[in-house]
Amino acid sequence: MGERSIIPTRIAKAWADLPLTRKGLVVVIVPLVILIGSLLTLYRASYIEARAEDDVRRAFAIQRDIYQVHALLAEAASGVRGYLLTGEERFLDPYEKADRDLPATLGRLDVAIEDRGVREAYEVFLTQADRKRAGLDDLLERARTQRSEAGLSDATRALLAANKDVLDDLRRQIDVIQELEGALLDARRERVERVRDQYLLQTAVSAVIGALGSLAAVVLFSTGIVRRVHQLEENAERLQRGAPLAAFPPATDEIGTLATKLDRASALLRAREQDLRESEERFRLVVEEVRDYGIFVLTPEGKVATWNTGAQRIKGWQADEIIGEHFSIFYPEETRAFLPAHMLARATEQGSAEDEGWRVRKDGTRFWANVIITALRDEDGVLRGFAKVTRDITERKQSEEALEEAREQAIAANLAKSEFLSRTSHELRTPMSAILGFTQVLELDSEELPESHKRAVTQISKAARHLLSLINDLLDISSIEAGGSDVALEATPLDEVLSEAHGLSAPIVKTAGLNFTLTPLGRGQTVLCDRRRTVQVILNLVTNAAKYNVDGSFISLSATEEDGRAVISVSDDGPGIAQADLPRLFTPFDRLGRDRRKGAEGSGLGLALSKRLVESMDGTISVETEEGEGATFSFTLPLAEEPQPTTVREGVADELSS
Amino acid sequence: MSSPADFVTTEEITKRRILAIDDEEANLLLLETLLQREGYTDIHFLDDPMKAMDQFIDLEPDLVLLDLMMPDMDGYQLLESFRRHTSPEVFLPVLVLTADTTVQARRRALSLGAKDLVVKPFDVIEVGLRIANLLETQILYERLRS
Repeated sequence: MGERSIIPTRIAKAWADLPLTRKGLVVVIVPLVILIGSLLTLYRASYIEARAEDDVRRAFAIQRDIYQVHALLAEAASGVRGYLLTGEERFLDPYEKADRDLPATLGRLDVAIEDRGVREAYEVFLTQADRKRAGLDDLLERARTQRSEAGLSDATRALLAANKDVLDDLRRQIDVIQELEGALLDARRERVERVRDQYLLQTAVSAVIGALGSLAAVVLFSTGIVRRVHQLEENAERLQRGAPLAAFPPATDEIGTLATKLDRASALLRAREQDLRESEERFRLVVEEVRDYGIFVLTPEGKVATWNTGAQRIKGWQADEIIGEHFSIFYPEETRAFLPAHMLARATEQGSAEDEGWRVRKDGTRFWANVIITALRDEDGVLRGFAKVTRDITERKQSEEALEEAREQAIAANLAKSEFLSRTSHELRTPMSAILGFTQVLELDSEELPESHKRAVTQISKAARHLLSLINDLLDISSIEAGGSDVALEATPLDEVLSEAHGLSAPIVKTAGLNFTLTPLGRGQTVLCDRRRTVQVILNLVTNAAKYNVDGSFISLSATEEDGRAVISVSDDGPGIAQADLPRLFTPFDRLGRDRRKGAEGSGLGLALSKRLVESMDGTISVETEEGEGATFSFTLPLAEEPQPTTVREGVADELSS
Repeated sequence: MSSPADFVTTEEITKRRILAIDDEEANLLLLETLLQREGYTDIHFLDDPMKAMDQFIDLEPDLVLLDLMMPDMDGYQLLESFRRHTSPEVFLPVLVLTADTTVQARRRALSLGAKDLVVKPFDVIEVGLRIANLLETQILYERLRS
């Protein structure tokens, strides 16, 4: 934060927004530029210094050459003078040397002199030097010519004096030049000093700037990357701990983006944690408040870890009394040693284990419990404990036991009833056996009997048969009502049942002088029925029709299919039945008084028995009739779900035909 | 001796010894009438089932007519006893005559060794024919074994 107060906010923001690659570039380039700048400055300073030193050297060279010119001329002058005085040629050597060397020295000077003031003085010097040389030449000429005349002429003396003046002028001019050049030299020396100072200053400034640049780079790096990465790291740690994240200055660079994402993740995580906490809280409340189920958690070793209201209610222990106890405490002594361990082993192996049995409460009383133990595993499949759900089903157990007892009693009662029916059947039929047997014997030997006895025997036989059929029907009805009827339901081809019943009842219909038609269902449908009983019902209906259809001409037996059920109908065109009589039609022993009127035989139990038989086969029986219009008795049977395969039916047919 | 291929004559059949056991005197009388009509001569009747085994062992009957529902000892017990006292090679026809019409009774009797079963009241002629058939089978069986 310290840096932020130093650096203006807007720039800081722009810097923070800069992508990391650019930031890196800036951090590298800033010191680099400063370094290059410093180098350039150094180079320039040394160049200027070299130039200044050159100038100084040149000034010295100019001074030396000027002196040399003066020396050459002076020596040449004294040589000429010597020659003048002596006439010896060897005095002319300096003159010749000056004549020889002067042009080169003057040429160097011409090149070296740059300063205008100096050049002006030099131009004067040059003319004076020329004059001097010309004066010397004149003098020498004169000396050669005067040698013959001997001695020095006045003209010569004047010339000498003039030459001496020229040399003096020259000397003075040299002083002027020297003075100028000296000033120039001083100026240049001063400049060199200045340049050197400047160079030192620049170096110091460069060093300072370089240091500052590096510092700036470090600061930039720190503010732009390192510090923010640290903040980010800290936030990541906070996220890990689940603590709220510290505020992070928003920026659009990579770190800023990452921080924003971290922020969002944190918000999402917090929202989820909140949801989870709420959900856990709800769940905990639900589990704790459930009263009908004991729901609690066991440690992997089987110790109670949690407790709920239901468990407290069912088992009697308070949470603080039971938590930490081994759950075998809930088992009665006889199973405590093995059952708890066995249940845990089974739950561990199979995921869950269910059991019903006696458990004990805190006060020692027992209850019949349904227990489900479920193994709790974490994501890696490591066993973390068990969830145990216990229900007190003592009441259910008791009612089941009561039910079982009642069922056993019912079975016993039923057996007793069957036994009674069997005995009754025996008791009633045994005397009938003697009566009918002897009657038959008498009938067989009826030739030997007088006519009146023959009629009596016929009457006995008829009455006895009636009585027998009455007994049979009565026993059938009783046995059905006792639930002990031997109705065996199996998928049976309906048309086979129809044709069997048709074949058996055809003689009765024929005896009654009626037509008998059969309309089968025709597609091999099977019905769920007891074949023998179904035939019995059809026989009953056909026999009834034959019995009462005294005016009509036919009886028809037919079958149709309706709503998944087969409907078997027996119709006649007889007198029909009065509407008022219909309600009593299926009541035992109620023959509507017609037997007496028409003299028809029957027990009066046929329809009642048929109704019970049909109902025991899950069917219904009904009648449609109008007086004078005939009657149709219909009963239904459930169609079997799968029609019998054709091959089997053919097999049956083969067996029958062979 | 007759060969197995020969017809079994009526005389051979009616010579056979028959023991009828029923606690009802009327029924025994009816059976007697029936058997006499058919021409049987060696016929024995017993109305006390407790004496049945003694009689059975003494008489060694060829055929037994047996009622199922009797006091003290019922027909089922007698069927088991007969089987125990009869060697496996011997074909002993027992015709059960019962007023018990239940399927269970029929199945139990037949499974205990009854060779045939007729429900009371019965057709006199039918019972006569069944007795004759059983005896004929017995005679043919004996011929095959000898």
